[in-house]
Amino acid sequence: MKTDSAVVKDAVTSKKVASDKLLLKVEDVSMRFGVLAVLKGVSFSVPKGNILVIIGPNGAGKSTLLKLISGLLSLQEGEIWFKQHRLSKIPPHRISSLGITQLFQDVQLFSSMSVIENVMVGCHLRTRAGFLSAGLKLPQAQADEQRILKRAMSKLSLVGLEQKAWDNPAGLSWGQQKLVGLARALATGSDLLLLDEPYSGLLADEIDKLNQLILQLQRQGMTILIVEHLTDVLMGIGNQVIVLDYGEKIAEGTPDEIQRNKRVIDAYLGSG
Amino acid sequence: MNAFREISSKISAVKLQNRVIALFALVMMTIPLGIGPYPISAMVDVGLYSIVTIGIILLMGFAGQISIGHAAFFGIGAYTSAILTTHYQFSPWLALFLGAALSGGIAAAIGRAMFRLHGLMLAGITLALNLVFYHLVCSMIGLTGGAMGLINIPPLILGGFNFSRSFLTYYMVWIIAIVILGFSLNLADSQVGRTLRSMNTHAGGSENAAQVLGINVNSYKVQILVLSAVYASIAGSIYAHHARVVEPGTFFIPFSVMVVIMALLGGLRSPWGAFLGAGLMIGVREFLWEVMPVFVTGVTGAYELIAYGVILILALLFLPRGLISLFGRAFTKRRATV
Amino acid sequence: MDFPNALQIFISGANLGAIYTALGLGFFVIYSVTRLVNLAQGEFVMLGGMLTVSFYKMGIPLVPSITLAVIISGLAGAGLYRFIIYPARGYSRLTQLLLTVGFVFAIQGVALLIWGWDFRSLPAFFNTPCIQLWGATIFGQTPWVIGATLVMVIGLFFFFGRTIQGKALRACANEPLGARTMGVNIDRMALYSFIMAAGLGAVVGAMITPLTMTSYSMGWSLTIKGVLAAFVGGINRAEGVILGGVALGMMEAAAAGMVPGGYHNVIAPGILIVVLLLRPHGILAIPGRVE
Repeated sequence: MKTDSAVVKDAVTSKKVASDKLLLKVEDVSMRFGVLAVLKGVSFSVPKGNILVIIGPNGAGKSTLLKLISGLLSLQEGEIWFKQHRLSKIPPHRISSLGITQLFQDVQLFSSMSVIENVMVGCHLRTRAGFLSAGLKLPQAQADEQRILKRAMSKLSLVGLEQKAWDNPAGLSWGQQKLVGLARALATGSDLLLLDEPYSGLLADEIDKLNQLILQLQRQGMTILIVEHLTDVLMGIGNQVIVLDYGEKIAEGTPDEIQRNKRVIDAYLGSG
Repeated sequence: MNAFREISSKISAVKLQNRVIALFALVMMTIPLGIGPYPISAMVDVGLYSIVTIGIILLMGFAGQISIGHAAFFGIGAYTSAILTTHYQFSPWLALFLGAALSGGIAAAIGRAMFRLHGLMLAGITLALNLVFYHLVCSMIGLTGGAMGLINIPPLILGGFNFSRSFLTYYMVWIIAIVILGFSLNLADSQVGRTLRSMNTHAGGSENAAQVLGINVNSYKVQILVLSAVYASIAGSIYAHHARVVEPGTFFIPFSVMVVIMALLGGLRSPWGAFLGAGLMIGVREFLWEVMPVFVTGVTGAYELIAYGVILILALLFLPRGLISLFGRAFTKRRATV
Repeated sequence: MDFPNALQIFISGANLGAIYTALGLGFFVIYSVTRLVNLAQGEFVMLGGMLTVSFYKMGIPLVPSITLAVIISGLAGAGLYRFIIYPARGYSRLTQLLLTVGFVFAIQGVALLIWGWDFRSLPAFFNTPCIQLWGATIFGQTPWVIGATLVMVIGLFFFFGRTIQGKALRACANEPLGARTMGVNIDRMALYSFIMAAGLGAVVGAMITPLTMTSYSMGWSLTIKGVLAAFVGGINRAEGVILGGVALGMMEAAAAGMVPGGYHNVIAPGILIVVLLLRPHGILAIPGRVE
């Protein structure tokens, strides 16, 4: 059994592997809303199995970048590649079925449903029953229901919330809601998980728990992209860090390199 | 284990729901034995409105998409049946299926473009579509009879039964309504129902969240529109054969608004709400026509309109979640029907 | 097409455009303050027409008759807001929309009780005769319709653009929280908007009665016309409503002059469909301010 730090070390070395191990490639992406340039020529690539952390102060363009990758915003300039697929012009639900999903900063749980139903919605790509077979309760639809109920339960127990399965998400603590959101995202079976400020509003022990989970997911082969404006929580977890400032990439490297980077200290860490 | 306990409680809830449907069907099937022809005809109306309203509840309460134009789909069904059976001597049942197919086809064709709009603007475009349908029907006199409408539509006939007799129509309407209820309840409690609710921004859903989970939001909106259009069309076809005449005024905006009112008054969270909403509105209408003239004399219809408006306002003010909120968990409890 | 025909189409287009615009403005006034589409707007028009006819037939001169009709209609608007919409202020917009439909039924019942089923009419204002102009005929009422609409438009622009009260009203919809912190009483502003819209509607009712006649059940069709005009141009901008109203009026008149049968009625809703598909909030609407 490897220790967490060993896993991190493995992943760092994997950064240098050949490009066929690349999962995500962002090439020269720029984005503007009206006259406001939110991203200016950002490029980076993420090898399979990495945990990439993107830090930057509020307004640095981090969330916009995630929405461009998941397709919720359409690309204006540049290219994004995911497993040989060019993502521009692909609608978000197709991008999701290629293997990218996102956990929003505000989670956006479906408040009209119980926790387990939320996670079952996440199993959508695993179902085949359409309107007709669901309405007629054909065996295929019933089999689908059983299968995704089991799958959703297993994702819930992965985040340790199977006891809350039948509760309404509104009654859960913020940390628990984030975990339900994570379970729902994991239920899609994606290869790349985009986390938008997952630590915001969490208590110290919840942050630890989330970090454990993220590392566990990485061990299982997932690639994870975390966006965060707090710097202290991520140094322990990322093995590749990118710093954004006013839409520009000002640094990239290992956590240690970043902490020593003069420009980063000036632009961000020093003032923080 | 907790999960298994919940699954078993879920199975018993499904059984409970099936029993409620069976009981409901039994009650509806025995009602005609005890009452005269006049209330029967009102009950036919309740059944027809309920069929349309179930579609509105799925479209509006589940998927969160408003329509003020379903009178057009009701009308497409009615006019397809009327035209094919009077001008071309089609079998009424074939005409009913062709009308439903036409309505569904039109819904599929316009849905994708229409759902680029949201909220109020979606209401606006569905209203405009209803107006276009209405004025076309009024203008295409050779085909539709224009403002005069079409008469002498043959009754539905099944296995030698002539459904022009109102209690036979009653059975046919209510059997179809209960079948549609069953189908819709299954749908509501399935992954399709969850998917629709996940993208309903008016009830705790999020289109963005649904999309990153792989849900094709637009496709689901179009599919549920098609289903609701088919429901409305079936009801329209039966209506044409029941009334034996169709004229354009029936398929105007007030009908579209009425089914939305029925959906909201009954409750948007369950297809059951349709029967409550339609029952209330038709019940009040019939009650007023029958009872009011006994107490007040004067211009026909005036007091009825006033009372109708006041009751609608009071119901909306005091039961914003619909009549279904008065009933027990068997109707509204979702958790156990996963 | 010869010149008199074209002129005739232009004149009836201007007339129809003014009516569409005037009807649409009532929706604009309430929407711009409360974000609510008031489906009872056509009923205020009906009330205005009916009341004006009644007072006029009693021997009261035209202007006082219209004034009385505007006051009573304004009171009905206040009643609609205070007793029906205000108690439901926390409810969904859809519920509020359907509450206005409940008011439609009730007010139609009242009108039926008072005036019965008959259509009523008025002579053209001040008995203005028809005017012959280069082979085209202008009804005596048409200049009054266009003139009254122009006065309403100018008055609204002045009110919303130049007066403190008008700016406070607009602020309610655009920045409700900001308006509240600035001490604007939003509920009171909403009440004013209903009174204003009902009063405007009553003027429209008086001005169109010599052309179209009026009856207890005419409200729905007027509501629909106003909604079309407001949605085509953009319900949250007065400029939008004016553009939408004039465009619909002109196109419908042109179609009525050229297309046989009732097909010209398809023009107005057809334009709305095309416009919404191209510009999902209306031609001139400010996106993000329409919900």
